[in-house]
Amino acid sequence: MRIVCAMSGGVDSSVAAALLVDAGHEVVGLTMRLYDASGHERQGRGGTCCSPAEIDQARDVCATLGIPHYTVDERERFTATVIDDFAREYAAGRTPNPCVRCNEHVKFGPLVARARALGAEALATGHYARSEDGGLLRAVDESKDQSYFLFAIGPALLPFVRFPLGTWRKDQVRERARALGLPNADTPDSQELCFVGGRDHGEVVEERARALGLAGDALGPGEVVDETGAVLGAHAGIHRVTIGQRRGLKIPGTTARYVLRVIPDKRQVVVGGAEALQTRALELRDFRRLAPLGAREVLRAAVQIRHRGRPAPATIELDAGIARVRFDEPVGAAAAGQAGVVYAVDRVLGGGWIDGVTG
Amino acid sequence: MRYLDHNATTPLDPRARDAVIAALTDPLLQGNPASTHGPGQRARAVVEQARRAVARALGAEPLEVTFTSGGTEADNLALLGAARALRAAGRPAGILTSPLEHPAVLAAARQLAREGHPLAFVAVDTRGRIEPDALIAALRGRDDLGVVSLAAANHVLGNAYDIPALVRATRETAPHALFHCDAVQAMGKLPIDFKAWDLDLLSVSSHKIYGPKGIGALVHRRRLTLQPILHGGAQERGRRAGTESVAAIAGFGVAARLAAEELSARRTHAVALVARLRSGLGDMPGVTLHGDPERSAGTTVSAGFAGCDGQLLAMCLDLAGFAVSSGAACSSGSPEPSPVLLALGLPVADARSALRISVGAGNTFEDVEALLAALPAAIARVRGALSDGDWRTVEP
Repeated sequence: MRIVCAMSGGVDSSVAAALLVDAGHEVVGLTMRLYDASGHERQGRGGTCCSPAEIDQARDVCATLGIPHYTVDERERFTATVIDDFAREYAAGRTPNPCVRCNEHVKFGPLVARARALGAEALATGHYARSEDGGLLRAVDESKDQSYFLFAIGPALLPFVRFPLGTWRKDQVRERARALGLPNADTPDSQELCFVGGRDHGEVVEERARALGLAGDALGPGEVVDETGAVLGAHAGIHRVTIGQRRGLKIPGTTARYVLRVIPDKRQVVVGGAEALQTRALELRDFRRLAPLGAREVLRAAVQIRHRGRPAPATIELDAGIARVRFDEPVGAAAAGQAGVVYAVDRVLGGGWIDGVTG
Repeated sequence: MRYLDHNATTPLDPRARDAVIAALTDPLLQGNPASTHGPGQRARAVVEQARRAVARALGAEPLEVTFTSGGTEADNLALLGAARALRAAGRPAGILTSPLEHPAVLAAARQLAREGHPLAFVAVDTRGRIEPDALIAALRGRDDLGVVSLAAANHVLGNAYDIPALVRATRETAPHALFHCDAVQAMGKLPIDFKAWDLDLLSVSSHKIYGPKGIGALVHRRRLTLQPILHGGAQERGRRAGTESVAAIAGFGVAARLAAEELSARRTHAVALVARLRSGLGDMPGVTLHGDPERSAGTTVSAGFAGCDGQLLAMCLDLAGFAVSSGAACSSGSPEPSPVLLALGLPVADARSALRISVGAGNTFEDVEALLAALPAAIARVRGALSDGDWRTVEP
């Protein structure tokens, strides 16, 4: 079977491609160019002939595996759907999740279209998750599980998608990469957003927001206030704090205070005690179903509200594109803009974006 | 794999390969051509024999031939070397070229513009033709221009240009200006005559004529002053520093001789293949043929496929066993459509939908028929995939 494997140049997608080759498939490597690694690359002839090191790495791996490799340029789409959204969400006082956006708008839809055009019967990626019978499940290696990032690809594309690493542990993947002689076998996992690339996270947001004409209003310095509105200190920008953050607020006093929320219109950061950070109910918007669920339905399941977060038991009331979540026990630091993903044990039932924290 | 991308590069002719291997392996040919001793002299003889072959193939004198690392360096040496020398002599040193030129010419011209040289462009029509009258119009009243640079054959469209007429137009309108002709895509496809065409500068490349990669030549009038772009020893009469790549030069010499000797046979063969390609493509719905069918180097078809992405179509064909190009080879992986096609006035989507198919000596009618047979399914798949909802367009 011809399978297109999306290759980032990292060890995971490289091993995913190798596993497919071993299984006897005709594998085609495809790498997306998503952003410019640095400013100097755009000099000369628009940076067309030079490419980030990751693309070279993916090409080398494909040459080692003896499979064809192509690079497609998705800088325009990535900027419009991921980086711009990232800046807009911060300016609106939310905490965006660019990896979910990228999977939704860049990695799956356009790549599935390309894979079909290339005559492939499946698209594979190096994500740690499982796709079975058209559904999405957690990876066997729960410490690496990425199903939280994948819910937004939707039910239509899932049957076409394969995750060869879904049953693998990371250490097995590295071992396999070493056995294959892959040059990236021991490259440490990246913890940061790909397009931030070592720069200051806040500056990246400001730079893009300026380009979109948003920075002046929302992202400047402002006040840190308590829940009564009393000013306690100053902050450098609402995009530079994280919901639940405790350290680095520079507020005098001995009681521990956490970032509860931001008020973009007033450029204020609201802080309070740990108990005020607890959420019992929230609403998910743009909810999409990855399992046979009705338009209106009440179900018992577990909801995960951040990557590496523990799913919390809840009652979920589905109402078309909205899901109202009521947790059995309060959960901490729910941030508007992050994804809320609904699990039945290890199966993803659906997910949406945290809109309002309602209680 | 059926190889139909000869404008990108050509397979090495076994006869050129034998010359390369001989120069690499013959213990008597291992000297430095610049050395005084016997081993040096023998290596030098190989270089000079190749120089004579290249000169003869291009209607030039051996002393007019300077070996370079390829077509790009030849174009750079021509434009940078000539324009900087003119400027140093206090003479007009602006560049006139066309928007259809290879990046080696356009980027060198832009570098000169950054250094303060005037830069002007001649108008082209929607088929990529350049009329002598358009050149005269572009030159008239421009006494700041010192170098005219136009290709004899276009790398994307395969158009051929009437260089003798364009040189005459230049001499009449701007007698002081030098004329550089990029003949990288013309050599081996069209007769070239440096002297009879009254050229000042001419660039060629070995790997486009079934010779080894990494070697080319700039032909120039003997007494023309060029500022070197590499600084070092006095090789190539001070025009190009660096020890000569003897083996590559030996292979280039053989390839150049064969290109001249076999020109008419190669041309007849290619023209017949291209005629079949053009008629076959013309019968397919949604296919537009670009370029000038009346005046062509005879090996290239540039075609647009409505509703397709040329890059994706080229990948599709690669997986089906056909090597073709979605633009110039060095733009691969970039979303920018071919600047050549945009210069014809094509909309961006049409320019992005193009393929370049370029045939060569090793191709057969079977190759062409197989490609024509494989195309409809590939086109349908790409069109289908791009028109369904998965391919969300960017909505800024």
